Amino acid sequence: MIEKPHHVPERLGLLSATAADPYLTEDLLKGVQGHGGVDLAKVVEPLPEDDARWSVEPLRDLVDDAKYQFKDNRTDADSWLAPRLHATLRLTRREAADKRIWNHLALAVAPDYVAWRHAPAPTQGGSEPRINPARFKGAPDRQCFSRLWWAAEMFRNGQDYAPVVAACANQDLIHNALRMDLVDHRPTAQALVRVLERGIAGTGREINGLMTAINIAGATLVYDALAPDEPRDPEALRQWIAEAESAPPVPRHDLPTGPDEEPVPEKSVATLTEYFAELFETAPVRGRVPQA
Amino acid sequence: MEVGEEFGPWLSRQLKLAGKTQAELADELGLTRAAVSAWITKRSVPRPTVMGEIAKALGTDLGTVHTRTTDTQAGLPITWYHRPGYQDGGRDGGNAAAFAFDADVQVLARETCQNSLDERLVGNGRPVRVRYTIHELTGEKLDAFRAAVLWDDLQPHYSAVSESAADQKVGRVVDAGVRDMFEKGRLVLLRIDDYNASGLTGDDYDDGKFAAVVRRQLESLKSGRGAGGSYGLGKATLWATSALGMVLINSTLSVPHEGRTERRVIGRLELPWRAVDGTPYAGPAWLGRPDPETPGAEVVRSWWADEETVERLHLTRDSEEPGTSFLIVGAHDVASLEQGKSDSVDDEDENGSDDDGTRDIRAMHRRLVEALGRDFWAAMTGGGSRLPLLETSVRTLRNGEVVIEEEKVDPTDTQPSRTRALRAFYEGTTVDRLTEAGQVALRTVPLRLPLSGGRRGTLGTHPGVLLVTAAEDDDGVPNQVHSLRGNRMTIKKSGVSGLPLGVNPFQAVLLVGQAAGETVPFAEEAEEFLRAAEPPEHDRWGQTEELTLRWSHSAHHRITRLTTEVNTAVRDLVVRPKSAGSQESAKLRKKLTVPRKSAAPKRVSGPALPELDGLDAEIGVGGEWQITAEVKLPRVDELPAMTPVVLLDVRSGSRPRLDWAELVAVEGCEVEDGVLRFTPRARRAVFRGSTDASGHPVRTELTRLVLELRAGTGE
Amino acid sequence: MKFYPYKRLNRPITLRVTSASLKLPDGTRDHLDTSAYSIPQRTVALGVAQHEDWISARIGLSATLPPGATDPDAPWSDLRVVAVLTDGDTNVRTTVDLRQDAPASKEWSGEIEVLRDDHVGRASLAVHAVATIDDVPGRSITETDGDWTVDVAAEEPVGGLRLDVKQASFSKSAREWLRPYADAPWAVDASGRLPLVMINTDVEGFSDLLGGESGGIENKIHELLVSQMATDVWTAVFHSAVGDLEVEPDGSPVFPTDWRGEVLREMLPDIVPGLRVEEALRQVHRRRTGDSGWVELQSRVHYAAVRRAGAGKALANVLRALQQMNREDSE
Repeated sequence: MIEKPHHVPERLGLLSATAADPYLTEDLLKGVQGHGGVDLAKVVEPLPEDDARWSVEPLRDLVDDAKYQFKDNRTDADSWLAPRLHATLRLTRREAADKRIWNHLALAVAPDYVAWRHAPAPTQGGSEPRINPARFKGAPDRQCFSRLWWAAEMFRNGQDYAPVVAACANQDLIHNALRMDLVDHRPTAQALVRVLERGIAGTGREINGLMTAINIAGATLVYDALAPDEPRDPEALRQWIAEAESAPPVPRHDLPTGPDEEPVPEKSVATLTEYFAELFETAPVRGRVPQA
Repeated sequence: MEVGEEFGPWLSRQLKLAGKTQAELADELGLTRAAVSAWITKRSVPRPTVMGEIAKALGTDLGTVHTRTTDTQAGLPITWYHRPGYQDGGRDGGNAAAFAFDADVQVLARETCQNSLDERLVGNGRPVRVRYTIHELTGEKLDAFRAAVLWDDLQPHYSAVSESAADQKVGRVVDAGVRDMFEKGRLVLLRIDDYNASGLTGDDYDDGKFAAVVRRQLESLKSGRGAGGSYGLGKATLWATSALGMVLINSTLSVPHEGRTERRVIGRLELPWRAVDGTPYAGPAWLGRPDPETPGAEVVRSWWADEETVERLHLTRDSEEPGTSFLIVGAHDVASLEQGKSDSVDDEDENGSDDDGTRDIRAMHRRLVEALGRDFWAAMTGGGSRLPLLETSVRTLRNGEVVIEEEKVDPTDTQPSRTRALRAFYEGTTVDRLTEAGQVALRTVPLRLPLSGGRRGTLGTHPGVLLVTAAEDDDGVPNQVHSLRGNRMTIKKSGVSGLPLGVNPFQAVLLVGQAAGETVPFAEEAEEFLRAAEPPEHDRWGQTEELTLRWSHSAHHRITRLTTEVNTAVRDLVVRPKSAGSQESAKLRKKLTVPRKSAAPKRVSGPALPELDGLDAEIGVGGEWQITAEVKLPRVDELPAMTPVVLLDVRSGSRPRLDWAELVAVEGCEVEDGVLRFTPRARRAVFRGSTDASGHPVRTELTRLVLELRAGTGE
Repeated sequence: MKFYPYKRLNRPITLRVTSASLKLPDGTRDHLDTSAYSIPQRTVALGVAQHEDWISARIGLSATLPPGATDPDAPWSDLRVVAVLTDGDTNVRTTVDLRQDAPASKEWSGEIEVLRDDHVGRASLAVHAVATIDDVPGRSITETDGDWTVDVAAEEPVGGLRLDVKQASFSKSAREWLRPYADAPWAVDASGRLPLVMINTDVEGFSDLLGGESGGIENKIHELLVSQMATDVWTAVFHSAVGDLEVEPDGSPVFPTDWRGEVLREMLPDIVPGLRVEEALRQVHRRRTGDSGWVELQSRVHYAAVRRAGAGKALANVLRALQQMNREDSE
């Protein structure tokens, strides 16, 4: 059982994967024994002192609450944690693209959460169960925390995190959507959630089939032309980040509020929802006769 | 009605032409010699009743005597005068320059336009207009023209040249020219007219523009200080462009000569030494009126022709505006051959199909337009309050019918970016830094002029104007600096050294001397200095004899330094400055770059594998993809088995693989469990297939098919 | 080979950047020199030393459609031209419509905004001509064939991926992980956004060697050392790139979208010659994860690295210089 490290840093920092490597021990991956945290702190590059966002305490509180609240159904923790992690950290995408911050969060701040959420699983060779190291320092869509942050970033509708909750409730959706460029287009992301909510494609298999269909059609279709989006306004995000200083801890029961960006045009979401539903329903693989 | 010249001088000349004395005329009219003398010295004019008598005595009509716009036909008729051979029997007659280079209408354009620019009438501020007319004559029109130039008198001379100079280039050229005219039954006339120019003023023999062109082939007479070689050696290109060595001239003078301005006509022929009927001839011949004042009245001089004569000689000018028309008889363009065969390939004119290309009038037209745009874009560009100095056009006719409409040369077509640069300078819309495509940046570059006479030190600094702008596709070679002085001709073309990889293509124009502006410090001195640094070819600035004599041996270093300044200024404008950090470990960084992939990835040679060489596909009624594919097989002993794999393309990520419902060999192969096995030694294979539509993840119309050949069983 | 189920234009769109300007925190706009972008390299470099903190960049675009796009009898309607900026690191996709310069013109132009907060390195810029064809709206009928790169950090508009090189004293570096390597002249960290080559300044004179310009044989030896180093780096980055590939359900490896993909595409043609890169990657992956063939491949990997590093040329230059020197000595 991996416990909260003895020494938890006060502030978030940058931990390169190379520097982190010695601390990603076999014992940690097998879920036997974590590290003390003192030595690890020495290889971390600090972030600027004057930024309230790098305070670890609110993050640590969040993961503790999540572990407590979802102890019986760990997968459900994603829907709860994703918007709250996003609203607590208040990162720009530029900052979020730096994997070192996620390495630090996973390895120095909350390795116990990583081990709890992604418990050791049997590996291919059939040897002892291990935690996938990618959960600590892997690709953005695999790493324990960055996948949640990116899911929240890609599926929020302006300041509304409700679609994030819906998206994260379907592991197949966030698992696959983050690997594809499709959800980079906000109306596409919102339409996917809506198709899911309407029950047109509900099961993981169906969702995967739908995304494959959209991805294939996207080789010749420019969805941006079918469903235009609002241009991004850098000020709203900057304002929201500046407010981090004085922001109270994120609400535990209600959803937090994101940056005050323009929501996705409803007309675009509606158009694409219809379009995707039609794509799904006319796909031959579902055993139906293709429309003439 | 035209205004003729004064009666006295006119009558004096008519008497001279007719070989009559004043006394003889007085006798015929029954008047005193003093009366005739009074007319000639402009002290009196004859009474109207006497005019009729004078006309009768001169063998002309009353109208001619009244209007006096032409000479009477009295006296000796228009004829060719051939310069006799030298007494010492020397055979070096003929103008070497006229035969030295191959006929090239582009060189002709450069030289003639330059002359017209130099002879532009500057007082009215208007441009000089130069028009090139290519006119092909056949049939009756050709016969009429030959009669007008008295061909029968010339024929023996051409025959003599064909024989006696057959071993020389000039002999072969002339021979080919004559044969072309008779065998193909055609003749190309290339006419160059300028308007708003000074015309060939001055006496027939004394110093003047007329004599400079017609008499003295080896010297030049410059009009202005900025002249690039007015009627200098370049005029030889007129004769060089004629396969017959023949040029006819009609000039309207800006300053009257003999009291007249219009239709001063003469022809000149350039042939090598020859003997006709035992009489040796030195080289040139002139078409004109025998001059009674020369011994035996054999030498001919220009004459004031009537309208009918200039019409017959194809020398009619559009208006009475001053300027000169040169008619090159038997024009050809040997240089067009070097431009490649493409010139005649797109010629849809059936008359030109059996051509060797040198007399292709469409190609000549195109090459003239091209050369004018290339060499005179600056002179043809105006802007702000400045009018262009020059307008040019080209048209092509056959027997008076239009073949190609008159085409005004537009410098923005051929030199879009350089023209834009110059216009922005004239209009005052240049910028200091380039921040947007289409802008023109201006930098001042110093030309430090040396003191003359070998003295050390600097006379002063002339601020040259450097203009830089983004290159357009039509400009030709990118990253060039074109340097111009007062005459607005590109003198120097040079690249800029030390440009890093990836610099945006640009064009630069350097204006120095009077081109930088007339009020700019030392403009005149710079102009003079650079003109002295210009060789006769007008194609660069550097050390010349004149520069060494008037300044010093090291004077040309001043130009080298200007070039350095120009290159520095250009780099400053187009190259991104490097910060100190990027220089650190520069060598290693350079080696650690994944180069930008070109659109077609290179293929390193290796074991040759069968590869797809053609794909045709359509969607079948059942929504399946039906494909027919061709495979190119390498020339190897053992052809490996390949698996055709059909995939659907995606926006991103992995591409779903489809199942084959059917896979059939058509030729050169067999299909076995979805694997292609190729027939030994076959070079091509074809197979067909269709996909299992029930496995398509989206309806087929929205898919993009990808077919791959994978080695072996494709797993 | 690819096949589309509808008519398209078979020639690509030409895209040119025409200007770039930065919006600064104080609201002013800095118009960058046109040397901030390179048309031949298809790259825009927005990194300017004085303005680390710009908010957004506005890039002027001009696109030329191939002939036939605006023909009245073309089989499509509702033609639009959109510029799309995508960034794989930050999942940003920005789309703008371009305006047709004049009715029936093939020239389209517009501007795209690049937000500083949205990008960390290189973003790709492409243009699509989109139209309704066979009643299907939104079809791309042609696009640019080579994307432009918008690099928010680079100071020079040089296309291609540049590995990061930094210098530090390994024994005193704040990067604690370097300390165990204190006696090594250099170290490679391939775990970051870009592979990072750290140069150990503890080795005296080493950093001068890498940056300085000197003449004669000394210079040639420098070249040789640098190419030796580069060989090591290329070998290391190749192994990093091939080490952690995603695999499709059918077992085929997927090209990574980041630097690893670029490194693989660059080196694979030398490692598995004669094959398309996808096939080559499959083979390399099979050998690495399978039972045999990985060891045998190492000489090919080394060869590919040597070629990138220009080691052959550097060695030949040193040998020639040495020979010359010997000759001069003996004379």
